[in-house]
Amino acid sequence: MKEKKKRRIFGRLQRTPKEKWKKEEFTEIEYEPTPVKELLTEMKDISELIIDLAYSAVLFDNEEMAEEVKYLDVRMDKLNYDIRMMAMMAARTKEDAEQLAGILQVAEAAESISNVAGDIVKMLKDKTRPVIPNILNKADEKLFRVEVSKNSKACNQKIDDLKIESETGMRIIVIRRGDCWIYNPQSDTKIMADDWLIACGTDEGFDDLNKFLKGKLEVLD
Amino acid sequence: MKKKKAEDIVLEIKDKSELMIDLAYSSLLYNNRTIAKEVYDLENLIDNLYQNLQKDSLEEVQKGKLSVDDALTLMKLAQAGEQIADAAQEIADVELRDVELHPILKMSIRESDVVFTRTQVKKQSVLCGKTLGELKLGSETGMNVIAMRHKDNWLYGPNKNTRIDPEDILFAKGPEDGEKHLIDLASGVTSKI
Repeated sequence: MKEKKKRRIFGRLQRTPKEKWKKEEFTEIEYEPTPVKELLTEMKDISELIIDLAYSAVLFDNEEMAEEVKYLDVRMDKLNYDIRMMAMMAARTKEDAEQLAGILQVAEAAESISNVAGDIVKMLKDKTRPVIPNILNKADEKLFRVEVSKNSKACNQKIDDLKIESETGMRIIVIRRGDCWIYNPQSDTKIMADDWLIACGTDEGFDDLNKFLKGKLEVLD
Repeated sequence: MKKKKAEDIVLEIKDKSELMIDLAYSSLLYNNRTIAKEVYDLENLIDNLYQNLQKDSLEEVQKGKLSVDDALTLMKLAQAGEQIADAAQEIADVELRDVELHPILKMSIRESDVVFTRTQVKKQSVLCGKTLGELKLGSETGMNVIAMRHKDNWLYGPNKNTRIDPEDILFAKGPEDGEKHLIDLASGVTSKI
């Protein structure tokens, strides 16, 4: 098994600095050595998470989720600067340059995806959006929101032990706990009573997950 | 009725653009130019869909069948998908250049929260002869098949009617603990789905 990776923002309780990140948007860029691999992995993960989060925000008409999207978008800008600086420092030969250009191209693509997410949440300001649920709910894979009941066997269990994704096909995108968020919950993330989960999957998968989290189903099978 | 059609096009753009991202990353992971080229083709398809949608929506508005707000929403959603498709193309582009990929690229894709996997279906596998709809691999193993290779033919974004045959190569994505399950099923090590 690969060694436990250091997680920068995923799988842990995260309270978004409410006003602070808005200032960070234009702060000075400072060189800070971080492995390129770590930066690129995080950029890829954010680019996938942020799109689901953006669609959830417009689907559930949720301003708070839109704020998270903006926060992640700003973080992505910073990561993109960091990876460019790291790549420049790493290039020694013209072969290095050729290979590193490919890395930067992928990083740039991930960054454009996060910009798209930023555009999607801007739709929250529009007056009428009834067509959005119509469209998103027609997809095979949909976004769902569910609150964990105190009676559920899932409470205080690790996601890995529950095998939610491999049993139901539902991928938990984000957990809302009090006023904190857990992005991309990891295998050792525990589910607690009163958590709100945003998950992506089929009607069928959600049906099982919903029953389980509401305490109407003892085990997932 | 026509309005329904516009909604379906938007959904198609959204689904295809997400598939393209997965295909683009897989093409890098497996050094697969065929998949990378498919991303290019899909990008063209999405461009066409997007242009048709814009025209259709405006015509509907002119006829008074669609409100301006709804038409704008449809176009904005479609635009989001179109831009995601562009990003996928940028990723696939890296594979198509004749430069050896930096090892970090593959490592980053592999270490991500969602893993990609490639596996060949053996004759003795329970998957043989069944459709994806019957197997429900997505909800049973968490692994979604994004592309398949059947002899020399490729199939991208297979649907529930797609049948799996012996020797097919499956490209799938999902959680780490689903990967082994799928590989075991395909190789016939286990028959419990």
